[in-house]
Amino acid sequence: MSDFDPGRRRFLGHLGLAGLGALGASSFLSACASSASGPTTGNGSGAVTIQSNLSSPQAKAAMEKLIANFNAQGKGTASLNTIASETFRTQLPTYLTSANPPDLYTWYAGSVANDYASKSLLLDVSDVWKSLGDYPQSLRTLSTDASGKQIFVPMNNYWWGFFYRKSNFAKWGVQEPKTWTEFLALCETLKGKGVPPIGIGLGDTPWVASAWFDYLNIRINGAPFHRELLAGKQRFDDPKVKAVFTRWREALPYFDPKGKAYPFQEATTALLAGKTGMFLIGTFFADAAPKDALGDLDFFRFPIIDPAVPLAEEAPTDGFFASAKTANPTGTKALLTYLSGVEAQEAYVKASSGIVLPANPKAKASDSPLVVKGKAMLDEAKELTQFFNRDSSDALQPTADTALTKFIDKPDQIDAILREWQAGAEKVFKG
Amino acid sequence: MTATISTTSVTPTWRRRRSARLSPLLVAFVLVPFAVESVWVFWPALQGFWFSLTRWDGMSPPAFVGTDNYVELAGDATFRGALVNTVIWLVLFGGLSVLGGFGMALVLQKERRGVGFYRAALFTPVVFSLVVTALVWRVFYQPDGIADTLLRAVGLEQLIRPWLADPQTALYAVILPALWRQIGYVMVLFLAGLKAIDPALHEAARMDGANSWQRLRHVTIPQLRGVNAVVLSVIVIDSLRSFDIVWSLTKGGPYHSSELLSTYMYSTAFQSLRLGYASAIAVVIFVLALAVILGYLVRAFREEA
Repeated sequence: MSDFDPGRRRFLGHLGLAGLGALGASSFLSACASSASGPTTGNGSGAVTIQSNLSSPQAKAAMEKLIANFNAQGKGTASLNTIASETFRTQLPTYLTSANPPDLYTWYAGSVANDYASKSLLLDVSDVWKSLGDYPQSLRTLSTDASGKQIFVPMNNYWWGFFYRKSNFAKWGVQEPKTWTEFLALCETLKGKGVPPIGIGLGDTPWVASAWFDYLNIRINGAPFHRELLAGKQRFDDPKVKAVFTRWREALPYFDPKGKAYPFQEATTALLAGKTGMFLIGTFFADAAPKDALGDLDFFRFPIIDPAVPLAEEAPTDGFFASAKTANPTGTKALLTYLSGVEAQEAYVKASSGIVLPANPKAKASDSPLVVKGKAMLDEAKELTQFFNRDSSDALQPTADTALTKFIDKPDQIDAILREWQAGAEKVFKG
Repeated sequence: MTATISTTSVTPTWRRRRSARLSPLLVAFVLVPFAVESVWVFWPALQGFWFSLTRWDGMSPPAFVGTDNYVELAGDATFRGALVNTVIWLVLFGGLSVLGGFGMALVLQKERRGVGFYRAALFTPVVFSLVVTALVWRVFYQPDGIADTLLRAVGLEQLIRPWLADPQTALYAVILPALWRQIGYVMVLFLAGLKAIDPALHEAARMDGANSWQRLRHVTIPQLRGVNAVVLSVIVIDSLRSFDIVWSLTKGGPYHSSELLSTYMYSTAFQSLRLGYASAIAVVIFVLALAVILGYLVRAFREEA
């Protein structure tokens, strides 16, 4: 009884309040955001620090090898700092705005990079581009910011497509479709055989649905409209956007119902096990695939809907940008020049297991049939897009995730969904 | 007599002198933690209030917008949904963990053979990090996972659904693992409270012919008032800060159906990069927690007086 005298009770009450302070919903926020915790780096001629989000084992090993090679050449020294990709994504603005930022970062080309450039956070790397004269114009444009200087150096890109197992397609006696009509017919056939035709993985990775939106939009309305929409110059409640969902709805009955609940990695497992027919995904999914299944994989391009629309493909480009505040711009540019060279790019492709295409046109990609086919598909395209978040911003991505997963669940509410999407997007654009 | 008078007249001056000259050690014990708290807690918290009046992307300097963020909050359907979900969470998670924890404490308070094992078993989930808990429950909920297998085994396969991906069930599917953990924690708090009750009170009540329900109602529960304040604080704080389990199971999805104020604050801040707006949500969370707990404390003190 004496344990709970009023004095002690008051004390415990205060403990509760102190706990509240520690919960400090607001303090948590501002502490993270205002005190930029700059990693210790960059002293004049010191080592160039690379902040890398390539944390999968093979990609990490490949980067380590590249940095070791660069250091062995004696043109400078660099040190690699590999960060889990989700942490990297949320911390990137903090890195770039800190007083003493790391020098070089792995990241994506396109709108995401240009956003930082417009805030004068990125180093002008036009010098590096002087030695990249043989790079295709598309990559140069992609790496150029609004003021006309290059701020990005591409390392490689990859493609998205409908992946399937050759042995399963043979077993089911079906062919790759070319057009939307053929595609729907294929879905119908597979469904008749008791196989859910289209795999997807939205649990935990809802952004995968954006590939469907991107592709339908660039097939129906074309890449220029798509880019304007994602830049806030068009509206999501436009009838042209609704047309995308009308098409999508034709394919909805063929989606694997379990796909809502598991992430794309498990959707990959389902595809490989023959539990789904095909899967619209980027080549990175193969990281989660066992080696023996890789030879059995093939893909076809997203079916053509309107032949009059210039052919566009999603080809997300990965590479590097540097902080405008780097203390060692010379060393940083030397490292970028090395990384964009044939030797480094071939070494990276060889060491990483991912199916990627080097950005340097002289560097040889892997000669597996899959990579040859992917490269041919991209070469044939008139326009390349990046991906929803890369063509807009990471901030816009959650609005797409909400709208698209809701559409897949409740396609009847499409008008309301598009209105909400537009309202959400306006908030993001307004900041 | 004289002795008593002199003591009573001396004591006040002695007290006054002592309060005038505080011991330096005491001053240090008060000021040092206060200084540390100021830097790490009070200052950032105040800053949070300031940020809630600004528009800020974390990169450019914050721009003052007055109460715009709060006006927007009032018309934000997602925020309203998150608020409702937080209330549901508070009631279900808070209420059930108190009932469950108290019930378990009553059952397990008597020293019996093997009771230590049951107590330990109930407490084990508290030891796991919530992220680990989430991983375990994800396996439980996954398509064709343990939950589905169990339902099929008892012939209820028509109930099977994508538990975490169905907006009807997502919130409840997340509350369950949170409860699984919290009940053990609350049980331990109540066990400590029950142990502190003087057995003589129960003895006396029994002598007066009180049955076990009457003893629970009129002896045990009133004696636990001190613990209740702690449990309430813990429950309210844990409910409002519940984030990790929701984030690792559903991230507030599908389409905001399991969104809590805490997850909405996080995604607004670190995904949409709207730190001013997120700070406004944080302020609302703070006010809510303060209101609930202050309300209880004021009532508790009034009863005491």
